[in-house]
Amino acid sequence: MQRSSTVEKIPSNVSAQRDALESARKTLGTIILGKDDQIALALSCLLARGHLLIEDLPGLGKTMLAQSLARTLGLSFRRIQFTSDLLPADIIGVSVFRQDRGEFEFQPGPVFSQLILADEVNRATPKAQSALLEAMEEFQVSVDGETRPLPTPFFVVATQNPGDQIGTFPLPESQLDRFLMRVAIGYPNEASERELIAGADRRSMIDEIESIAGPEMLLELQSSARKQAVSEPLIDYVQALVRFTRASADIETGLSPRGAQALVAAARARSFIENHSGVFPDDIQAVFPSVAGHRLKPAGSTRFRSPAELCQHVLDSVAIP
Amino acid sequence: MMRAQPRGTDGSLLSSLPWTLAALVVALAPHVPYLSFWISGAFVSCATWRYVIEQQRRMLPSRWVRGGLALLCFLGVFASYSSISGVGPGSALLAIMAALKLLETRKRRDQFVLLFISIFLVMSSLLREQYLWSLPYLVFGTLIIMTAWLRMSAVESESAKQSLRTGGRLLLYAAPLAIAMWVLFPRLATPFWSVPIDTSRAVTGLSDTMSPGDISSLSQSDEVAFRVRFDDQLPQPKDRYWRGLVMTSFNGRTWRGSEPRIAAPAGEQLEFAGQAYSYEITLEPTQQQWVIAMDMPMEWSLERTFMGPHQQLSHVTPIEQRVAYKVVSYPEYRVQTGLPRIFRRYYTELPDDSNRRTASLAREMRQTVANDKQYIDAVLAMFHNEEFFYTLRPPALGSNSVDAFLFDTRQGFCEHYASAFSVMMRAASIPSRIVLGYQGGEVNPLGGHLIVRQSDAHAWVEVWLEESGWRRVDPTAAVAPERIEYGARDAALDGIGISWGFSAPSRLLQNLTMTWDMLNTKWNDWILGYSPDKQKTFMEWLGMENPSWRKMLLTLVFTVIATILAISAFMMLRYRPAKKDQASILYKRFIRKTGVERYIGETEQEFAARVMAQCPLPPAAIQAVTDAYLDARYGAKVAGAVEKLRKAVAAIA
Repeated sequence: MQRSSTVEKIPSNVSAQRDALESARKTLGTIILGKDDQIALALSCLLARGHLLIEDLPGLGKTMLAQSLARTLGLSFRRIQFTSDLLPADIIGVSVFRQDRGEFEFQPGPVFSQLILADEVNRATPKAQSALLEAMEEFQVSVDGETRPLPTPFFVVATQNPGDQIGTFPLPESQLDRFLMRVAIGYPNEASERELIAGADRRSMIDEIESIAGPEMLLELQSSARKQAVSEPLIDYVQALVRFTRASADIETGLSPRGAQALVAAARARSFIENHSGVFPDDIQAVFPSVAGHRLKPAGSTRFRSPAELCQHVLDSVAIP
Repeated sequence: MMRAQPRGTDGSLLSSLPWTLAALVVALAPHVPYLSFWISGAFVSCATWRYVIEQQRRMLPSRWVRGGLALLCFLGVFASYSSISGVGPGSALLAIMAALKLLETRKRRDQFVLLFISIFLVMSSLLREQYLWSLPYLVFGTLIIMTAWLRMSAVESESAKQSLRTGGRLLLYAAPLAIAMWVLFPRLATPFWSVPIDTSRAVTGLSDTMSPGDISSLSQSDEVAFRVRFDDQLPQPKDRYWRGLVMTSFNGRTWRGSEPRIAAPAGEQLEFAGQAYSYEITLEPTQQQWVIAMDMPMEWSLERTFMGPHQQLSHVTPIEQRVAYKVVSYPEYRVQTGLPRIFRRYYTELPDDSNRRTASLAREMRQTVANDKQYIDAVLAMFHNEEFFYTLRPPALGSNSVDAFLFDTRQGFCEHYASAFSVMMRAASIPSRIVLGYQGGEVNPLGGHLIVRQSDAHAWVEVWLEESGWRRVDPTAAVAPERIEYGARDAALDGIGISWGFSAPSRLLQNLTMTWDMLNTKWNDWILGYSPDKQKTFMEWLGMENPSWRKMLLTLVFTVIATILAISAFMMLRYRPAKKDQASILYKRFIRKTGVERYIGETEQEFAARVMAQCPLPPAAIQAVTDAYLDARYGAKVAGAVEKLRKAVAAIA
C-alpha cells in the first residue's frame, strides 16, 4: 500500500533517504524475483542494526540476496563458508610475525567487512560459531588481548540448511537470539521462476549493480529508523502479544524482554521503509513471524507444526487495542 | 489452516479443565467424610481418566460404556444407602453425576453443567453442618467455581491469576448484596422446608445406658457438649452438676433409664431454697431426648419439654439441632420426701444373681452403723480411706462389674464409683439412682461463658432418705475431690489430672482454644441463632420502627437496588475509557458504520481491504478513515489528525 500524504513537510535529507530506499528496493526486486516481502524484511533487519539468519534449502538465492544487498548498499562484502574444520582464526584473523620489522602484525580476517555472509553456519563447530556470534554481539573482536572494532555498519547474514542433521551443530536458542530475524526465502512463484530460467544470468546482473547508497547513507537510514514514533497503544499491543506468548499453553517459553525490544526495533525499521507516520500494528504483524519465530519454544503438546503457524496463531489470538 | 478431522479430543479444554476439576474437588471435599469411600474413588478415577483423555487427545468413552457405568453407580448408591433420597444418598448421587458428566464433557456447555453441579454441592454441604469455618470455605469454594467459570471463557492471553482476581472482585461486589439479603430477608419461625437429618453421623456424647468404660471413653473428647451463659454470677465449681438423664435399672453391669411403671407428677414435689441461678444453655445436638440443666431446674424456656418422674428434663423428640434455652436453677432443693412403697421397691431392685460379694459387704456394713445416713458416710469413707484409684484407663471388668471393681481392680472412673455406690445403697435397701450428666465446665475468659465438653461427662448417685428426700451423693468426690473442685480440664492443667490420664494442653493451645470457642459462640449466637426475635431487635436497633416483614422486604429491595447502582457507578467511573483515545472511539464508530465485524488480531489495513471487498462504501473513503486513524492513533504527533479522522468518519454515510 502506497502512502505518501501523511508527513507534510519532508526535510531534504529525509527525502534523499527515501529515494535511496525506494531505488534499493527496486533494484533488489529486479534480481531476486517475486520476493518483495523477504527483501523488505532483510532491509528492515539491516536498518534495525540486526543480523539476519536465512534458513532455507540450497539454491533458493540466499547468497544472491546477501550479495545484492551488499552491492546495492555499497558495503564491503566477504563470504565465509563454514565447515567443520573452520577455526576462529579463519574468521577473526591472525597475528603474523614480521621478520623484517621484528614484530607481530595483525592480519584481519574476513569478519572485518561491512557485510558478511556466513554460509551454512551450522556446519562449523560451536567454537568457530561462537567467534562469529561474539563479533555479532559486541561489534568488536579481541585478538591477542587487543580489542579491535569492526567496521560500521556491520551486518551478518548467516544461512543454515534446515535439512542437514548429520554432522551439523545446530545453533542453541541463546545464540539464535543474536539474530534479529530468521527468514525463509521459499520457492519463487511460477512467473518469477520462468523469468529466472529464461532471463539474464543473475551473477552478472549483480556485478552490474551500481551502489545506490554508501555506508554513510546506511547509517543515516538506521538512525532515522530508530526515530520512528512508537505510541502508547502500540506498546499496549506489543505487551499483549508478549504476555500471550508467555501464558499460552502452546508455547513453553515466551518472548523475553529482549525479544520484545527486538520486535519493536524491527517494526520501527519496517515502518520507516513503508513510510508510515509511526509504528502501526501492521508493522508489528509483518515482522512478528521472523522476529518471534526462532525465539518461541513451542510446547510439546502444541497442535501447531511450524513456527510460522504458531506465530500466526498468536497474531490471530491477540486483539489490537 | 488445513487439519485432519481430529478423532479424539482436540485439547481445547486443556486450559480450563483443571479449573473445572478443581472446582468440583473443592465442592465435593466437605462431603467426602460422609460419602461411601467408593464414591470418592469413582470420582477421582473419572476425573483422572478425563484429564488423561484431554491431554493425550484420546477418545471419550462410548455411550454404552457411560450408560453402563451410570447404571452401575446408581445401583451402587442404592446398595450403599438403601435409599436415593436424603442428604447422604443425594450428595452421593451428585458426586457420581459429576464424575460421569466429566466423561461426556466435550464442550464448554458441558463444563457449565459441571460447574452448576459444583455450586449445588457446595451449597448442600450446609445441609449437614454450618460451622464457623463453613463460611470461609463456602467463600473459597465459590471463588474457585467463579474462577473456573471465567477460565472457560478467558482469552488465552489472560493468566489464571487475572481470572482469580476477577473472580474475587465479582465475589466482593456480591458481598454487600448477600449481607443485605441475609440481614433483611424476613426470618421465619419455622423453616419453609425441613431437611431430613443425616442420622448416619455418629454423635459423640452420653448415651441412654451406662456400662463401665462408657464415660471414660468420652473423657478424651474435646468436643463441646453445651455452652452456658449465666445472667449474674457463676455458681461454685462444686455446684456445677449438669443433670442429664436419670438411670434407675441395673442388670449387674449396665444401668438404664427406663420408664417408671407408675407415673407421678414430679415438679410439684420440689421445694427450692437459697440462691437462684438463671442462665442460657446452648446445647449441641445429642440425638437424645433428655435436656441438660443445672441441678435442680425450676423453670425452663424450651418448648415441648417436661420434667419426668426422676426429675429428668425430656424433650418430646430427640434434639437434632442446636438449641438455646433459658433455665432457672436452685442448687439447694428438696425433692419427694414422701416416696410410696412401690417406688422404694423399684429404686432398690438389684438382679439376684450378680455382685453377691458387694451385696454381702453392704449388709455387713449396714449392720455396724445405726442409720442410713451413717451408712452412706461409711461407704464414702471406705472409698476415701481404702486403696481406690481414680483413673481414666481402668482395667476391664466382667459381668459382675461391681464385685470386680470393689474387690479386685479398685481402679475406676466416675461411672465405676457411681455404679458401685448405688449398688451398695440398694443392697442396704436405700433407694438410689444414677444421674448421668456433666460436672464442672471451663470459663471462657473471652466470652464470659462456661464451656462444658464431653470430657466433663460425669455420673453421680442420688439416694433417698426419709427426712430429706432425694439427695445427691458423689462418690467420685470422695476419691478425687479435685475432679469436682477444679473440673477435669483445670485439674489436668494443674498437673493433678495427669495422674488420672487427662493430658494437659499447653497454655498457648489453651488460649487458641478459648478464642476459637468464643468465635464459635458468637457465630452460634448471631449467625445461626439469627431468629425472628433477634432480627426484630436488630431492626429496631437500626432505627426501624415496628419492624414487619413488609418493611423489611421493602428495605431489602431498596438496598439491593442501591447496591447495584453503587457498584455500577463505581465500575463506570473506573473503567471509563481514557480521553486521549478519541481516535479509537471514532474508529469504532467507523466499524459500526461499515457493519463488518473486525476479527481479533486483524490489522487496520487488512480490515480496510475486507470492508472494500464486502461493502458498497467508496474505497477512497475507507482508505481515508484508515489512514487518518493510523496517523491519529499510532503516528508521530501529527497536528489535526484526530480532526481529520472525525471528518473522514463523518463523511461515511
